[in-house]
Amino acid sequence: MNLKDPETMNLVIGRELRYGVMVSAAVILVGTLGLVASSGSADTSNYLVYNAGSVPHDGVAVGAWSIIGGLASFSPTSWVELGVILLIATPVARVLISVLLFVAEKDRLYVLITVVVLSLLLFSMLVAPSIPGFHA
Amino acid sequence: MRLLIFEFVLFLFFISILAGIFGSVVGLGGGVVIIPVLTILLGVDIHFAIGASIVAIIGTSSGAASTYVRDKVTNLRVGMFLEVASTSGAIIGAAVAAYTNSVALELVFGLILLASLVPTVMKIGENIPESPELKGLAKRMGLTGSYVETGGSTVRYNADRPAEGLAGTLVAGMLSGLLGIGGGAFKVLSMDLAMKLPMKVSTTTSNFMIGVTAAASAGIYFARGDVDPLIVAPVALGILIGAAIGARLLLRSRNSSIRKAFAIVLAAAAIEMILSALGVAV
Repeated sequence: MNLKDPETMNLVIGRELRYGVMVSAAVILVGTLGLVASSGSADTSNYLVYNAGSVPHDGVAVGAWSIIGGLASFSPTSWVELGVILLIATPVARVLISVLLFVAEKDRLYVLITVVVLSLLLFSMLVAPSIPGFHA
Repeated sequence: MRLLIFEFVLFLFFISILAGIFGSVVGLGGGVVIIPVLTILLGVDIHFAIGASIVAIIGTSSGAASTYVRDKVTNLRVGMFLEVASTSGAIIGAAVAAYTNSVALELVFGLILLASLVPTVMKIGENIPESPELKGLAKRMGLTGSYVETGGSTVRYNADRPAEGLAGTLVAGMLSGLLGIGGGAFKVLSMDLAMKLPMKVSTTTSNFMIGVTAAASAGIYFARGDVDPLIVAPVALGILIGAAIGARLLLRSRNSSIRKAFAIVLAAAAIEMILSALGVAV
């Protein structure tokens, strides 16, 4: 693969997105089949309760350790959540890969642009949620 | 509507395929379809609906972009250049969300979207826009490109007025950060009306960017528990299938047909926002 060839970027980014989507879809599918198999004939109204006063609002585990615990004990919702996290990570990885590709192309202007986008993205995803007043 | 879990999952799965097809062709991401189906038809809380819409947008974006980028319809440089504005806007929107009135915002932006139907419809016969000379900021940033139509002809284009494109995309990002919805429409409009890109390039480049804007706010929705596994599982699976179908459809369609589809979805999105502001449960 010639990293200086501008077509390489289309090829690499296209593939990264395809693999990201395929892996997350497979994991979500496992969780969905688990959900339907274990409680498919239950009423949805017990599962879609929005608790405005509590976080998380749906009563499903959202922390890293509780999701990992859920994966180990084959909790279908944890598998769906892992798949969703992988899906969210796909465009983030795409921005990171474009930084590296522009570095390989020695295109300083676009290295700067993609680094700014990556920094803003990571700030918004990881730092902003813990700042009081954001998204209130 | 009271449903059993397997009925709920199956119904949402098929609806999401349709949402993925529409969302990937017009560059808005499928939330326009998912949100009213969840809230009106299925009686799901709006917070869950927005959480599902965020996941739907990321799915449509990555699912369709894998094809659009490989086939070089998406303009990567235009996308990454404008992402600076869309991600900044998303952070600004999130920071000021607590101090704004979401009803007034929905009303104002709904009306702006409705008004932007006029220039969109006026260009409805246009297949390939007249391309301006590449100059100034657009030249420095390399905002030019070409793609191959299915007939084999190559369409070359240059971007016009990049500063206006950035400004429009900043508004798009702010809207995503403020309301969690509506960003895609402003991105397409910025590229179509200000930067004068061919319609296919505008919708597929918007499609490319909306995944990043949605990911920027996904963390907070996820941590709050607004991303409900029972809802997002069938939505994500359906959306990804729909996006793969939509991407193939777009590549074979004419720019003028895509503009017609965009105008319809734009009208729907505008009406949805206005109705929601007026208190109709959308």
